[in-house]
Amino acid sequence: MMSETVQTAIPARRSQPLRPILMAGPAVLFLVVFFVWPLLDNGMRSFSTGDGGFTFSRYVSLLTDSFYLRVTAETVSLSAGVTVISVLIGYPVAYFLVRKSGRWAGVIIFLLIAPLLTSIIMRTFGWQVLFARRGLVNNLLVDHLGILSAPLRLTNSPEIAVAALVHVLVPFMVLSISTVLQGVDIRLEESAKILGAGRFRTFWEVTLPLSLDGIGTGAILVFMIANGSFVTLVLLGGGLQTLPLMIYQQFNTTRDFGMASAMSTILLVIAVFCLFLQLRLVRRRGA
Amino acid sequence: MTIITRRHFIGGSAAVGAGLITGGMPRFANAQAGEITVTAFGGVWEEAVRTCFAAPFEAKTKAKANVSLGGPPQWLAQVEAESANPPVDVLIMTPDLALTAAKADLVDDFTVEKLPNLAKIPQELTDSVMGKGTIFDYGVGGITFHKERVENAPKSFAEFVDRVADGEFVASVPSISYAVTPIMLIWAMANALGGGVNNVDPFFDAMAKMKDNLVFWAGPNDFFNHLSSGEAELGIYFDGRTWNHYDSGATWIDFLNPEEGGALNGVAVQKPKNADPLAWDYINEVLDAENQTKFADIMNYGVTNTDVVYSEKLKPRITPWQKTAFPPYEQIAEVRNEWVDRWNREIGR
Repeated sequence: MMSETVQTAIPARRSQPLRPILMAGPAVLFLVVFFVWPLLDNGMRSFSTGDGGFTFSRYVSLLTDSFYLRVTAETVSLSAGVTVISVLIGYPVAYFLVRKSGRWAGVIIFLLIAPLLTSIIMRTFGWQVLFARRGLVNNLLVDHLGILSAPLRLTNSPEIAVAALVHVLVPFMVLSISTVLQGVDIRLEESAKILGAGRFRTFWEVTLPLSLDGIGTGAILVFMIANGSFVTLVLLGGGLQTLPLMIYQQFNTTRDFGMASAMSTILLVIAVFCLFLQLRLVRRRGA
Repeated sequence: MTIITRRHFIGGSAAVGAGLITGGMPRFANAQAGEITVTAFGGVWEEAVRTCFAAPFEAKTKAKANVSLGGPPQWLAQVEAESANPPVDVLIMTPDLALTAAKADLVDDFTVEKLPNLAKIPQELTDSVMGKGTIFDYGVGGITFHKERVENAPKSFAEFVDRVADGEFVASVPSISYAVTPIMLIWAMANALGGGVNNVDPFFDAMAKMKDNLVFWAGPNDFFNHLSSGEAELGIYFDGRTWNHYDSGATWIDFLNPEEGGALNGVAVQKPKNADPLAWDYINEVLDAENQTKFADIMNYGVTNTDVVYSEKLKPRITPWQKTAFPPYEQIAEVRNEWVDRWNREIGR
């Protein structure tokens, strides 16, 4: 009661709620200090010569040297490939989860999320143990079944790196798609069937367009994470050369921080550009 | 509904500020009591640094040695960024980065006046980092192999290359992302095969011959996984880590120093300029014979104080540094980036 009385006595100007812009102040400050400023600093370093001068040479190398162009292309194609495979695997799983799993839904979600609770390093080592030259799969094929006379070289290859990335990232795709699929009114699908559409046409013209938002969200998530993936490629990459690996090398081996900054700027631009394209695509298809 | 007013906001901010200030007070008080920050790699390294160097330092000076975990590139970057007030008082560095720090005048000169135990360290090891630090510990990059899968292991780099190229073994070698690969693999193999710091063609030719039978390790544990999982039968690795695996139960692992001499991979200790003068006391403990003996026992790596007498267990394991190939660190640092670029284009992993 007392506080109410005091509040009433204070002039209205002093007890006004903080203006929205002031309320946003801490968040804006946080973003400026921990996001905008480091990005600007990183960008400036990529143009800076050792003696404080200005140079475009790093970007010229990155954008004209066939080696660096190949690295950039490999980075984008790896991320795109992992995204496409994740959609192809994730969509049926999400569809089953939402439409067919019934009381098993909780178990399926647990199985999807459980791997995320394990360290990515442990999951990656798991692939090594399974597919090593003297690992479980090769021992089965060579020693127990006698199908092969010599073990296959399965690890340290681009294929196994892609498989391991898909393994890590598919749960993000499934969860993104299933969330949207849950919101799709099943009566729309039933109406399409009543009007004569088959199961495939119902899916293609009703369910899929209505779930594009989920695919878009999942694709963005998977693409972004794959674009910056490091541990899996370091341990299983087998010949893949991507920008994150090259950035690490610039820091750890050559200590060329300017080149690392330029590479990270290129990586960021690629990520933003692909994000823009994916959003455009999803919005156009959704419309 | 709670309405946040300007008064609440200012009051809350003041409380947070006061909390931060009072929270900072103990740190200030500690600093007054004598406290330095020293560096260590993770795992058994940290344990050894705490036991063998930090504990005797604290006992003698009554000051505290905080151990910062990480790696040389990170510590050097930190010192470069804040050279007037370095966040670490003692650096442990790979020799090439120690030279980078020395050339950039980021570290102090080592003298016997400041460090009495420096007199017991061979002069070559101090000279190798321009006298602005010294090598106190070293490993040898040689041939580590799975005894049960490799009979009659290669005795030299040349034999290693020939037998891997012939497909007799799959070998695991360090990838170019591992910081000392230019020294322990590129230079060491080029040197052993008739090249040197100005001619690494023999190394790249050898890698081309072996390429179908190579896997690459990104970190030391990765190498062990390659051998234990059967991905590779042998490889280029460190003696000390090999014996650590052996002592941990992997009795199938063995190491040999190639006939041409494996590369000496030294660990240098340095003091950043403007670091706390107490760092000298700590570094003197690092160079002490008794402390180094304990350190060698834990780490299975060679140490450099000439008064050190290794235990019976360690004697057959430690390669005297004179029997290693001593890399020309300074020259390697000048061409390292060219080698890395060539590796990226020709080997790519």
